[in-house]
Amino acid sequence: MQYKIATLALGTALALAAATGARADTAHPNDIRIGGYFVHFDTSASDITGPYTVPGLNTSVNNTTTLYLGYVRTLSSHFAVEFAFGWPPLTHAVGKGPAAVGSVPYNGVTIANIRWLSPTALLEYNFFAPDSRWRPFVGVGVNYTYFYDRQVTAAGAAVSGGPTSISLPASVGPAVTAGFKYRLNTRWHIVASYSVAQVNSRLTTDTAGVLRSSSVHFWPNAVVVSVGYSF
Amino acid sequence: MLKKTRSLICAGLCVLALAGCGNNSNTATVATSTQAGTLAVDPPLRVASLTASAFAAQLGASPTGQQLLQLAGTPACGVDFYYMKYWTTAPDGKPTEVSGAMMVPTGSGAQCSGARPIVLYAHGTTSVSTYNIADITDSTNAANSESALIAAVFAAQGYIVVAPNFEGYDISNLGYHPYVDAAVNADDMMDALTAARTALPHSFTPGTTDSGQLYVTGYSEGGYVAMATVKAMQAAGDTVTASAPASGPYALEAFGDAIFFGQVDIGSTIFSPLVTTSYQNAYGNVYKATSDVYTSTYASGIDTLLPSPDSLTQLFQSGKLPEAALFDSTTPVTGNTQLDQLLAVPTSPPYSASEAALFDAGFGTPSLVNNTYRAEYAADALTNPDQAEMTLLNGGTLTASDVALAAQPAVGLRQDFKLNDMRNGGWSPKEPMLMCGGDQDPTVFFQVNTGVMAAEWSPLVSAGLVQVLDLNGTPGGAFAPLQSAFQSTYAALVAAQGPSTAIQSYHATEAPFCMVAARDFFAQVP
Repeated sequence: MQYKIATLALGTALALAAATGARADTAHPNDIRIGGYFVHFDTSASDITGPYTVPGLNTSVNNTTTLYLGYVRTLSSHFAVEFAFGWPPLTHAVGKGPAAVGSVPYNGVTIANIRWLSPTALLEYNFFAPDSRWRPFVGVGVNYTYFYDRQVTAAGAAVSGGPTSISLPASVGPAVTAGFKYRLNTRWHIVASYSVAQVNSRLTTDTAGVLRSSSVHFWPNAVVVSVGYSF
Repeated sequence: MLKKTRSLICAGLCVLALAGCGNNSNTATVATSTQAGTLAVDPPLRVASLTASAFAAQLGASPTGQQLLQLAGTPACGVDFYYMKYWTTAPDGKPTEVSGAMMVPTGSGAQCSGARPIVLYAHGTTSVSTYNIADITDSTNAANSESALIAAVFAAQGYIVVAPNFEGYDISNLGYHPYVDAAVNADDMMDALTAARTALPHSFTPGTTDSGQLYVTGYSEGGYVAMATVKAMQAAGDTVTASAPASGPYALEAFGDAIFFGQVDIGSTIFSPLVTTSYQNAYGNVYKATSDVYTSTYASGIDTLLPSPDSLTQLFQSGKLPEAALFDSTTPVTGNTQLDQLLAVPTSPPYSASEAALFDAGFGTPSLVNNTYRAEYAADALTNPDQAEMTLLNGGTLTASDVALAAQPAVGLRQDFKLNDMRNGGWSPKEPMLMCGGDQDPTVFFQVNTGVMAAEWSPLVSAGLVQVLDLNGTPGGAFAPLQSAFQSTYAALVAAQGPSTAIQSYHATEAPFCMVAARDFFAQVP
């Protein structure tokens, strides 16, 4: 279901880009960007529930910094679509709750390392004229987050009670952005933005067939600073 | 340009596709074999890991835990509690999945790692189907105190503990418990041991290994199961270093006869449905309909009542079981004077006042067992007597020559008791055995069980291979401090609660003393 929504959203954005591409009134409607993604996670997870689980166990995700890659297609004088990717960061899930479970350390301990791919498609409105040096913009869109390479650390296995696998289904959620573009010349520019997406998933761990789970909601809010090239 | 867009999107999707391959395979192995003794999930779940000081602190947080600490000693080792699932054999011969605990000592103490002895432990009777002796983290689990007891007495002092939950409990979907079914219970114990030996090298402390010394113990029903396990392991040629069955109903036939003759024990309304359901499933000879044994008040559904997720209080309050009234207070009259006297509500004399009061509590209306069945059973017990029970009934002293089983019991339940009675099969322990109990035990009577086995094996008792410890006896010998401690603990209970309330806890009060006695005994038999 989530795959379908994501496909639909990306497809719509793409169709929009294709359909309006002909009306682009700039000489260089394509724009590729590279920069830094400084991601802060506002995590809100429900306490982990399941058999053999002491109450009050929660998790949070450490902030991360990664490479930003973006492609922006100008649709008109004011509209553009952006496809933003972060280089899949290695994110650390950290225990939040009691100092120890039994005698096994918990609070603040990295219990899992997770990589995830989180493309975002945004429809953006750019203020001012296309040849302005400063162009603020706002955008709304859809974020698709896919978790992979989910590895429970030795400390995570110790607290879980054995070798543990994690499942975190992919998430589709809204994303918003605001920022500005500073034009250096006709080809090059610098972009800074602030984006927030909503990611909802359900963390399920399997230790020796014992399933434990937690609803995970986080709002990755990212500051992106990038350099763009138009062609 | 569109082409470029597509290729970028494609690049993104390709990364996604690749990412899909990078999954983690970090899980336990689920066995495909259902052969008896197979560890179903390997490695098993570690439910909790407690250091010695954390375990001591946890015990110290409650008054009963403090008493246990005082008796068992300060933990020398930490304890890792594992929840094992494994396969054993149901009474119908089919594979059935069950669960249990493995407790592994941890820590830097000399006795906490390396090659360690195994204590194979059998738990006592429980009516609660969710009983899980591995779950030390859940104080609401009915097994929690017994789990803490064996962890404190054995695991925290350097023994690896293996303790099955038994068929009919926790994850078992058997639907009943093969209660006091010697062969089935012994198989479950041996299969738990096999599974634990598989699990041990895959634990969080793979350096902790099986030293090869095996001690078998258990309390109450578990005392019986422990003895049955020693018998079965000896027959299979397996080594048992030493054993310590405690307060068990070993001489089932004699004990059953005593109860039907009116010596009703505390807990009998729980034991009865457990045992009739067990034997009916195993042998099909207890009744044609439950109403053959039980009164119309309780007969319906009693064959599927236990083990139950409900507490005993709930079962009593909902009217599914009487709290104490095993037999009708209007006792059956058969016309046979001797039989009618045995069926009458016991009085003092010939019983002591406290005995008469205890037995009298087992009579009421409506009762659990109907008068027709009681008279039928008792008549058979008189016609085809268990020699040991007859000796006791006549006030005689048990000797090796007067404890024989009934030659040919006619009633199905008595045939099943005989089959599962520990006197059956002409066997005796080859390695040291301690039988601990208390001679005033109102739940599992001491003389008719421990006393009978001691008489059966009297040459071994004389030789010192089999030892009997009566916690209520005059303190003497190596166990004198435990005897004194038990007696003062029970005296304090009587002083605090009065004798009629304290007697309800007598059987449970013995348990930690017998387990510490078992540990002391095992230490003498390396």
